[in-house]
Amino acid sequence: MATPTLVGLLMFAGMLLLMALRVPIAAAMFVPGALGYVALSGEASFLNQIKGSAVARLTVYDLSVIPLFLLMGQFATQGGLSRRLFQAAAAWVGHVRGGLAMASILSAGAFGAVCGSSVATSATITQVAYPEMKRHGYAGRLSTATLAAGGTLGILIPPSVPLVVYAILTEQNIAKLFAAALVPGLLAMLGYLVVVALWCRAQPQLAPRGNPASAAQRFSTLLGIWPLVAIFVVVFGGIYGGVFSPTEGAAVGAVATFAAGLLQRELGWQGIKNSFIGSAETSAMVFMIFLGADMMNATLALTGMPAAVANFVSHLAVPPLAVVAAVLLLYVLLGCVMDELSMLLLTIPVLFPAIMGLDLWGLGAQDKAIWFGILVLMTVGIGLIAPPVGLNVYVVNNLARDVPMGETYKGVFPFLAWDAARVVLLLFFPLLSLGLVRVLF
Amino acid sequence: MTAVLRRGALLFAWLGALVAMVCAVMVVVSITSRALWSRPIQGDVEITQLLIAVAISLGLPWCQWQRANIIVDFFTQKAPPAISRRLDAIGCLLLATMGLLLAWRTGAGAVAVQAAGETSMVLALPMWWSYAALAPGLALASVIALHQAWQHLRLAPLTPASN
Repeated sequence: MATPTLVGLLMFAGMLLLMALRVPIAAAMFVPGALGYVALSGEASFLNQIKGSAVARLTVYDLSVIPLFLLMGQFATQGGLSRRLFQAAAAWVGHVRGGLAMASILSAGAFGAVCGSSVATSATITQVAYPEMKRHGYAGRLSTATLAAGGTLGILIPPSVPLVVYAILTEQNIAKLFAAALVPGLLAMLGYLVVVALWCRAQPQLAPRGNPASAAQRFSTLLGIWPLVAIFVVVFGGIYGGVFSPTEGAAVGAVATFAAGLLQRELGWQGIKNSFIGSAETSAMVFMIFLGADMMNATLALTGMPAAVANFVSHLAVPPLAVVAAVLLLYVLLGCVMDELSMLLLTIPVLFPAIMGLDLWGLGAQDKAIWFGILVLMTVGIGLIAPPVGLNVYVVNNLARDVPMGETYKGVFPFLAWDAARVVLLLFFPLLSLGLVRVLF
Repeated sequence: MTAVLRRGALLFAWLGALVAMVCAVMVVVSITSRALWSRPIQGDVEITQLLIAVAISLGLPWCQWQRANIIVDFFTQKAPPAISRRLDAIGCLLLATMGLLLAWRTGAGAVAVQAAGETSMVLALPMWWSYAALAPGLALASVIALHQAWQHLRLAPLTPASN
């Protein structure tokens, strides 16, 4: 009879092997998990266990927020909001050196405030901003690296799909996590702006100056973005103010962006079609990974490994902060080859109890969970642009084909430096994320 | 065959998104009614749970058709097509196994829950509805995965071409 620990280790090894061999991550987690379950508690028990697993996962009310936020992001994309945002930002800052790159970051940040996905944010902002930067003679490396880094604001600034997943896995309040992400997200955006400014000062030839827009032009661009501002205020004002739940907020946001797209005559039949099909595809993709991870985690719980890891970590003779730093480093490494959701679903059930067992800055359980969640989110953001496999870099280069991918990877380093610095800052100053939570709740 | 599967998946995805949109409108109506007359739609949370679950499951076949399920291709980027296509065939077969198992067991769950007569808390909706509603999406996604596995083994041109 195989011991639970051996089964657990074999499962993990099998999963990693399948992943390396191009098996979709959902199945690479589900199949070894299922085999392990059968080995540990028999076929009948397994068949009984999975009877309710699809229903149990898909009907979680807090998770209903994901398809609705995805729908909202799709309507915002197809409804031309990203273009209006970029036009407005470019009218206000486009004339300074590197201004169009700054405008890309500003519009990505604003778009991130209604969109919970970094891929969607990178793609949509690249489509509107890259041609403009190219037309104004911006260097390829500067443009694509800025767009890839700016795209991470899609998840760093709430709403954020990975943060929802973290909230579900750790049974935390989504609204509080969103509030905790806001200040670090804005810091990310400001830092990226500074990176662009310093870079363009050091190498002015990369970004020629543009002509300033007239005051009239500037104010007219603001008219184009008021729906987005209104939607943001209503949705997040409602969520933070406790008027409605995040799921209800996402529903309001989806309906409002749809209506705004129709009223501004931007969302046509084709746009509606693309939004529908696109959000169905992405929702399904997210939940497939969930279903696979659920199987793996059900079996891992049987093996008792998460508790064993927590016990082991709490008896380590190293400072608690070093443990957190090691976990974050692990995320950076995993992020090099894996996507963020699979990474969270795979590691949080095992590592979270261990983190919660540590004394970190004397924080209470909930504060600690929230603070760690934001740290993880920011670390995951690094994996999105870091070589060798930065998802955002792929997305941007796929749309800006005249810039070689190696150029983009060279360009993202200054942004990565700020990402790393921000993680360290938050590690030592938990108040950066917890401050707003304390004010609002 | 290929065209039929594609149309089926597209139809499911459409329906799914439509259901999600209907759900969003229902929620907005409920919130408005709650704010104005303190009378939300009875059981709006239950309805949301059911509708969104159905919406997600109806998206599964299209996600499969588009090969949108995430894979790690880092270690096999330089593999010749003959090898990577075979690996992809294995991947599709494993996904199909997962989907068929879940579809079958969710269907069995529907039968068991119906027999037990379980209902939801507020609206007393029969619980077997949500079980029964999830099985078709899972099943069609699995059939598409099987079809794709076969296409990979024959080294047939990819449909859709590439993404």
